[in-house]
Amino acid sequence: MRSRAAASILSDAGFTNIASMQGGIRAWEGLVAAGPPEAGMAFFGDAAKPDELAVFAWMLEEGSRQFYMRLDDYLKDEEARQLFQSLAKAEESHEKTLAELYKSFSGGSAIGDKPMTEKGEFMEGGVRVDESLLWARDKDVTAILEYAISLEANAYDLYIKMGRRFEGDAQKVFSLLGDEEKKHLERLAGLLEKKV
Amino acid sequence: MALLDYFKPVVSMTAEEAREFMKGKNPDDYNLIDVRQPAEYELKHLAGAKLIPVGELQNHLNEVDKARPTITY
Repeated sequence: MRSRAAASILSDAGFTNIASMQGGIRAWEGLVAAGPPEAGMAFFGDAAKPDELAVFAWMLEEGSRQFYMRLDDYLKDEEARQLFQSLAKAEESHEKTLAELYKSFSGGSAIGDKPMTEKGEFMEGGVRVDESLLWARDKDVTAILEYAISLEANAYDLYIKMGRRFEGDAQKVFSLLGDEEKKHLERLAGLLEKKV
Repeated sequence: MALLDYFKPVVSMTAEEAREFMKGKNPDDYNLIDVRQPAEYELKHLAGAKLIPVGELQNHLNEVDKARPTITY
């Protein structure tokens, strides 16, 4: 999934001939990797408005927050547990930022007023929270860190793309969120580097 | 389109297809990018792969030739 996120970043940067190698280096050696559930569903058409995007991002943040919180049941590694709890808090603060953005777009209504059937079902990367938790249940800490890195890379990519659609405050908010996801990415990568 | 792009299917290649593709080509005819972490790269990597961890990719785009076919893993 990291390689898919990378391919998507390259495609966005104007690369036209890109392929992501399925299964990565493990597949190369002939072994089959137990890959995480795949992303692949569309939420909106082309005409997504800023307030819809704020809701969409809020929803994914909520899903990620739940995933990170519930990982606590599966993880034995104390450093990883602490990192994921801290990321869960960060996602909560992102939700607040997005709720404020939504308020300014929608002329004062609260994000909670918006009916959201998908609330907390999907997370960053477009994958389902319950499937991800199921996948994570018997994985070791490095596999879970790798997975989280790919989610955060997707979120980073998403906010860069959202930011490009707007100007002014919305642009600033999305690029700020993007910067934060990038920091999450670095923290996860740092821990993975240590645990490999 | 940017939001839809988020969920767009990324073209993928099996390891076998990638091996076929690279066979007989000069390593400078394509970009092979390893987007994992340095420690993982150190343990093992594909010959000729350039290491750019996914989190740093955005800052290193100018180091990759856009004109060449690119494989990430």
